[in-house]
Amino acid sequence: MSMAMAMPMCRAMQPQPQSHDHCTSPHMNLRSSFLLLPHSQCPSPFLNSLSCAQSQIYSIRSIPHPFNWTPARRRPRSLTVKAMAAIGEKSKKVLVVNTNSGGHAMIGFWFAKDLISAGHQVTVFTVGEEASEKMTKPPFSRFSELRAIGVQTTWGKPAEIGKIFESTMFDAVLDNNGKDLDSVKPVADWAKTIGANQFLYISSAGIYKPTDEPPHVEGDIVKADASHVAVEDYLRSLSFNSWCTFRPQYMIGSGNNKDCEEWFFDRIVRDKPVPIPGSGMQVTNIAHVRDVSSMLVLAVEKPTAANGNVFNAVCDRAVTFDGLTKLCAKAAGRETAAIVHYDPKSLGIDAKKAFPFRNMHFYAEPRAAKEILAWRSTTNLPQDLKERFEEYVASGRDKKDIKFELDDKIILESSRAAEPATV
Amino acid sequence: MMAMNAMNHISGIAIANAININNNNVKAFFTGSKPAFLTASSSDFNGVRLDNHPQQFQTNKLSYKSRGRVEITASSSSVPPKKILIMGGTRFIGVYLSRLLVKAGHEVTLFTRGKSPVTQKLAGETDQEYAEFSSKVLHIKGDRQDFEFLKTKLSASGFDVVYDINGREAVEVEPILDALPNIEQYIYCSSAGVYLKSDILPHFETDAVDPKSRHKGKLNTENLLTTRGVNWTSLRPVYIYGPLNYNPVEEWFFHRLKAGRPIPIPKSGLQMTQLGHVKDLARAFLMVLGNEKASKQVYNISGAKYVTFSGLAKACAKAAGFPEPDIVHYNPKEFDFGKKKSFPLRDQHFFTSIEKAQTDLGWKPEFDLVKGLTDSYNLDFGRGTFRKEPDFSVDDMILNRTLVLQS
Repeated sequence: MSMAMAMPMCRAMQPQPQSHDHCTSPHMNLRSSFLLLPHSQCPSPFLNSLSCAQSQIYSIRSIPHPFNWTPARRRPRSLTVKAMAAIGEKSKKVLVVNTNSGGHAMIGFWFAKDLISAGHQVTVFTVGEEASEKMTKPPFSRFSELRAIGVQTTWGKPAEIGKIFESTMFDAVLDNNGKDLDSVKPVADWAKTIGANQFLYISSAGIYKPTDEPPHVEGDIVKADASHVAVEDYLRSLSFNSWCTFRPQYMIGSGNNKDCEEWFFDRIVRDKPVPIPGSGMQVTNIAHVRDVSSMLVLAVEKPTAANGNVFNAVCDRAVTFDGLTKLCAKAAGRETAAIVHYDPKSLGIDAKKAFPFRNMHFYAEPRAAKEILAWRSTTNLPQDLKERFEEYVASGRDKKDIKFELDDKIILESSRAAEPATV
Repeated sequence: MMAMNAMNHISGIAIANAININNNNVKAFFTGSKPAFLTASSSDFNGVRLDNHPQQFQTNKLSYKSRGRVEITASSSSVPPKKILIMGGTRFIGVYLSRLLVKAGHEVTLFTRGKSPVTQKLAGETDQEYAEFSSKVLHIKGDRQDFEFLKTKLSASGFDVVYDINGREAVEVEPILDALPNIEQYIYCSSAGVYLKSDILPHFETDAVDPKSRHKGKLNTENLLTTRGVNWTSLRPVYIYGPLNYNPVEEWFFHRLKAGRPIPIPKSGLQMTQLGHVKDLARAFLMVLGNEKASKQVYNISGAKYVTFSGLAKACAKAAGFPEPDIVHYNPKEFDFGKKKSFPLRDQHFFTSIEKAQTDLGWKPEFDLVKGLTDSYNLDFGRGTFRKEPDFSVDDMILNRTLVLQS
């Protein structure tokens, strides 16, 4: 793989049907960014001290960490199934059971594309009905892109998965749908009966017990009453040859079913102040979905190593609320963002409704994936948010008429107490 | 590819059984038993890193005692005995490092002005251990700011390796490099304070540094070492703590806890920082010695987890056996403290990733925060020893004003 492929990518995700030739998948080059520079080619850490501009600082970061050069991805990408068989590599048959809404929806979309790129075979089984209104939203509205590259798409109820697939064999089954045992059990039980080698589950980093000592790392205490925990425990008891659970946080990426960065862009492009609960120092993890997807692909390709593990499906950098706001402003071509900090309690505001993220430190690190799967994080918020903003504008959302009732209430009440901080 | 994965997995199990540092979790790690019962402190990714890299065993020669802690016997077969000079070595980091080096069979000389005794028996150290150490360690008395003296004294001294623990400015290092042109390795105690403040964290070694920071001397030294072409290694600790700490980090909290006073914490208390135990740092210094992987490399060295300011106050209380403290938040901008420090830590998020050291060196911190603070308390403050008398005048300013506002 050439050095060129290891360079940072700044490519807008084209929301158009892909050609049949999956070699042109935009994801192919993304994977190459995992190739690390060998020691001899490490940039000097002191190059950084010469730069003052924010963009230059971040450009160094976009070069993967120049240590521990591991040829994690020696196999050439985007081979056809036949080609893989020819060189003795096993193409896996993977079933993705995908939720029909929410922040996790696009995981299945990206994962399916990456699996095809990697030469595997994929079926995406979306919960519900193909004709439902939910399917008019992204990523579902773009499932033609999946079919164009050879992904099988189908719909139905997870409880009836046995009827739909009968005894069709799959090497790996990913449940990216259920938050509780009722939803996942039928899928897991069926996967067991068909003799699937591997079961993967998208859980949530939200199940970690809040701590004074961030970050959440794999093995930390989880909330015993969290429904995902019951699922993880059940999966463990089923003794698949390989099973693992992935705990994501917040994600950005094309095809997102839930607002993330858009919430910030909405305000920034309209020159409205951004209301942030608390100090703005709260730290969270915003990963590009491609990082979550690549982690899943590695787990599918290394089932033995992955077995029995918890993986925090996040990127390896955290960001503060204020920091994220500033980055969004920069991505939108603004020098500054007007931030208004407020205390939700004293204003009688429900922060859950007023702000897209949990009002607390919510910060996990992907230590297990790095250690066990030789996975590398590629999320680069400054660059990724630029891409996200391009798509935001391309969709015309910047021109949309949006009401900011709750914002207005917050800003009005807060301006009595403090001046808006310009950052 | 599959076979290699299997092999790594199996060798991982073998390592796990041999190490068995955190008995519960090691098994859990590989058999996947309930994570819910594991405490944070025993998580593998919390502080214990299981290496699946076969090459670790060749370079680091860690000896594993079954069912016990990993001990660095640092058998002489791993790094042949060196003639080592430590700049400093009598106050804090060097006190522990020099002991490790002597135990590993190296000849250790401390270069200090002699303000502190060359050696002192440590709390918890047996007479025999102390005698073995003190009888072997050598001393050069001098002021390193006297560059001419330094250069003259060190020329033809034959030191193989220099540990520069107390260097601040690049100009202090030049005479040493001039005096020892054939030096095998210059190991420098730098600081994570060199990183440019960022909203995106943690700091990795590749992150931007701040040429205007208070620690620019450290940065300039690292640059000097690079330009001089010497084989160097630089460690960047964050906040160091442990018995004999002369920077009042944990001591600041212990004083207030002992006095039954509330802990004043600036702003939200959500600011995240990172403490690293001095003994873990000393081990990291040992592990880079003669290590090719460490050549011309910078490593962040600190604890495996970060901690909020409020969390640190609670951890200190827990470690010292005090009840959970009363925390009073205040806005520093509303006060004029003059030159006095109102809080021992910088008022910002400040933490680093120690991943590089773990991956490259096979180093991992052995102390989690509460365990480390307990060690510090039991061997230092808890015995009635501390470096600085408490000054509660700033606290009273804060508390009085807060009380007034509340009434």
